[in-house]
Amino acid sequence: MTSKTKKILLAVIIALVAIAGITGYMMWNKPHKNVQDADAVKITAVDLYNNFITDSVKANTLYADKVVLVSGEVNRVALNQQAQQVILVKTAVTGAFINCTMEEKTVAVKTGDNIAIKGICSGYISGDMEMDMPGDVFLVRGYLLKGK
Amino acid sequence: MKNIAILVLILFITFINSTAQSYFTKNGKVSFFSAAPFEDIKADNNQVISIINGSTGDVRFSLLNNAFHFKNSVMEVHFNESYIESAKYPKSSFKGRINDLSKVNFTTDGSYPVVVSGELTIHGVTNKVSISGTISVSGGVITGTSKFKVNLADYKISIPKVVKGNIAEVVDLDVSCVYEKKI
Repeated sequence: MTSKTKKILLAVIIALVAIAGITGYMMWNKPHKNVQDADAVKITAVDLYNNFITDSVKANTLYADKVVLVSGEVNRVALNQQAQQVILVKTAVTGAFINCTMEEKTVAVKTGDNIAIKGICSGYISGDMEMDMPGDVFLVRGYLLKGK
Repeated sequence: MKNIAILVLILFITFINSTAQSYFTKNGKVSFFSAAPFEDIKADNNQVISIINGSTGDVRFSLLNNAFHFKNSVMEVHFNESYIESAKYPKSSFKGRINDLSKVNFTTDGSYPVVVSGELTIHGVTNKVSISGTISVSGGVITGTSKFKVNLADYKISIPKVVKGNIAEVVDLDVSCVYEKKI
């Protein structure tokens, strides 16, 4: 093997290692799913909740881990323990909400507003029958799309 | 006359118990942490439903596994697909009772150490556990906290051989819930 061949071989090996390293680094640091630009399943808060309580298995296949665009009336705005904004959107069941943890704080939302939130649906957690407390349907990484 | 007095007393106690306060949250927090050589594994779930029945001491926690949020998206995917298998086992839960409820006064400010015994279900496996925690009362606000460890093997969560040694087989769980009064 000539010294020129050795140099070319070495350069190729270095390039391959660099490409593998960069690819690995990029894969490891791949950003989270872009919720804002993703296609979403459009549904009202009332329908989304009703779908989960009538047939949770079917609703899970339709909505869980999917990007949804939920519209409805704001019941309450609060902060969780990590200071993330939580918006509770009313459903047809008293005390039951679409419980949305927001990615960004939106100061302009208040009780009674009609809004649409785009986020990833985690699913439904049932409440407690004995305590007469219904469960919620949960959304994470929520973005407020519009007010009206 | 004496029998009537006893009956009235029993009815009164039953009434008090049935109307005793309960507490709930739908945005409690559960975090887990595992030290790893390359990058520590840490995730938070802020969508935990928890209920405390003030008269019986019954305590419940329920969360969706896919609501754990990791800083690193690849870790989040691996957690859901390879470890907790959240499509197959979407929920984790705890159902138990406060052992020493008489030591907790939900209406007086203070910090009350408790032990809660019950059943912890993760990854479709249920184990009996006793977990230490603290119930704090401050200005009418009830907060429940606990730190404990979970051995992944106890819940049949297997670590792939390739990364074995890089991922701890025991993870630290941190629970923190701020409760509302159930009206």
